[in-house]
Amino acid sequence: MAYHDLRSYLDLLVSEGQLLRLTDPVLPEPDIGAAACAVNKLGATAPALLFENIKGYTNATVVMNVHGSWCNHALMLGMPKNTPLKEQFHEFVRRYEAYPGKVEERDSAPWQEVVLEKDINLFDILPLFRLNHGDGGFYIDKAVTVSRDITDWENPNTQNVGLYHLQVKGPTRIGIQPVPAHDIAIHLRRAEELGKDLPVAICIGNDPLISTVGSMPILYDQSEYKMAGALAQEPYPVVRTQSTGLQVPWGSEIVLEGRILSRVREGEGPFGEFTGHYSGARRMPVIEITRVSHRKNPLFEHLYLGMPWTEIDYLMGVNTCAPLHVQLKSAFPEIQAVNALYTHGLVVIVSTKRRFGGFAKAVGTRILSTPHGLGYAKLVIVVDETIDPFNLPQVMWALSTKFNPEFDLVTVPGLSVLPLDPASQPAGITHKLVIDATTPLAPENHGHYSQELGNPVGTELWLERLHTMVSSGDLK
Amino acid sequence: MSEPLICPRCESDKTGVLTRSPVAGVWEVYHCEECFFAWRSTEPDFITDPAKYNPEFKLNRTELEQVSVMPTVPPLIYRHDKT
Repeated sequence: MAYHDLRSYLDLLVSEGQLLRLTDPVLPEPDIGAAACAVNKLGATAPALLFENIKGYTNATVVMNVHGSWCNHALMLGMPKNTPLKEQFHEFVRRYEAYPGKVEERDSAPWQEVVLEKDINLFDILPLFRLNHGDGGFYIDKAVTVSRDITDWENPNTQNVGLYHLQVKGPTRIGIQPVPAHDIAIHLRRAEELGKDLPVAICIGNDPLISTVGSMPILYDQSEYKMAGALAQEPYPVVRTQSTGLQVPWGSEIVLEGRILSRVREGEGPFGEFTGHYSGARRMPVIEITRVSHRKNPLFEHLYLGMPWTEIDYLMGVNTCAPLHVQLKSAFPEIQAVNALYTHGLVVIVSTKRRFGGFAKAVGTRILSTPHGLGYAKLVIVVDETIDPFNLPQVMWALSTKFNPEFDLVTVPGLSVLPLDPASQPAGITHKLVIDATTPLAPENHGHYSQELGNPVGTELWLERLHTMVSSGDLK
Repeated sequence: MSEPLICPRCESDKTGVLTRSPVAGVWEVYHCEECFFAWRSTEPDFITDPAKYNPEFKLNRTELEQVSVMPTVPPLIYRHDKT
């Protein structure tokens, strides 16, 4: 069963022991950011945090770290919370391949309870706060922003639903970061070529799946709502906004409607990013908000990001692996699994069978030309099918023993990467590297691999037996 | 609670109050019209005090007008259709 709004998912987290209520008073800064940073240090079973007593507010509720553990990720998929990561990955891929799922258009939504069209002050409406000390202001960092191509307005498939960081600069003024490789940048370019504003709806406080899909590198003409339906294995509910006509999640807590001002750029940032570095300041587009709708006593959902690992690494981990896996496997059925968990796939590890010598290098360079590879995949490591790419000790073993720099490096100069990569020079351009850490196959003949170790006969049976003995308490 | 005179980041005096705490007197949020910085009165002094603000993150209007543009603004094109 899927969760159609944040509240029902939080109820599940409570029943599974995955939500911590904080009822003692906290300051907006630095307490909420510090607590949300700290909770990630509890490891892969960390709970979500619900702040119910924020100094200065009468009824604000802030929820952080909703996606911030593999337990919460498994629960989002309706799986037991201790499901191993690799199982979650393969289940995610299975549902991804069922695209398109169904979308259910509804007439009304709970977020229509309160509507404001005059005297809007976002700082009065939202419990905004600074997350990291160097941030240039107060941000909305976990909303999904919905937009369409104004030259293809009726096409539901190219409607985009994406997570972009948003700096709230004034009562109705928001700065947005549309990285050029992102789909909203395509919509903005088409509108700006015509000198027109781009209508947008910003939806805060959502069911966990749409945040996952909104940060997922799916194809330009794939619908995020149909993808959410596929992942949920049931129709995904949406409602049209009154002023823009865009489809937004039925379950959102808060919906801000407005438009990106055509051909306007204004100072924005810095903002602490998922790269573990601040974004720096840039001149970026500006949104003017004209209408605000929200539930009574809305939940303000926010996300801590900073030095990995943080919530965002859980949010856009498996959802980055799955599309790359499917896109790569459609070209090369030998692909076993793709690990793009690290920094949204700036590093990608691919496990594959090989057809012939040189095959692994072809697989590695193919990653670079996937849609996501245009902005990421700076380093691609290709390993044998016997290596689990999610098991880093195994990957390190392959690098240690299969890789010879004389034969196994492919450097591709001057490719695109997201400008937030602090190593890029100029920002947005980098060399990329493929490391072939597979066993050479004819006609490749370098190295000496005829005597690779196998496990002694009976190891598998012993493993099972020892598991049973350990779990039945024989250690006492 | 006194009005802020200068922005901790760019040290401009073009600042104002964005909002006040719903519980009266707990905090105020200010913004800078020059560099778009926002801050709350209850934040640590290395955020609110211009003299203590991290020099690595100081940024003034002139510098902000020289930073890179992302995404770039495309050339205008003429279309025959109604959009």
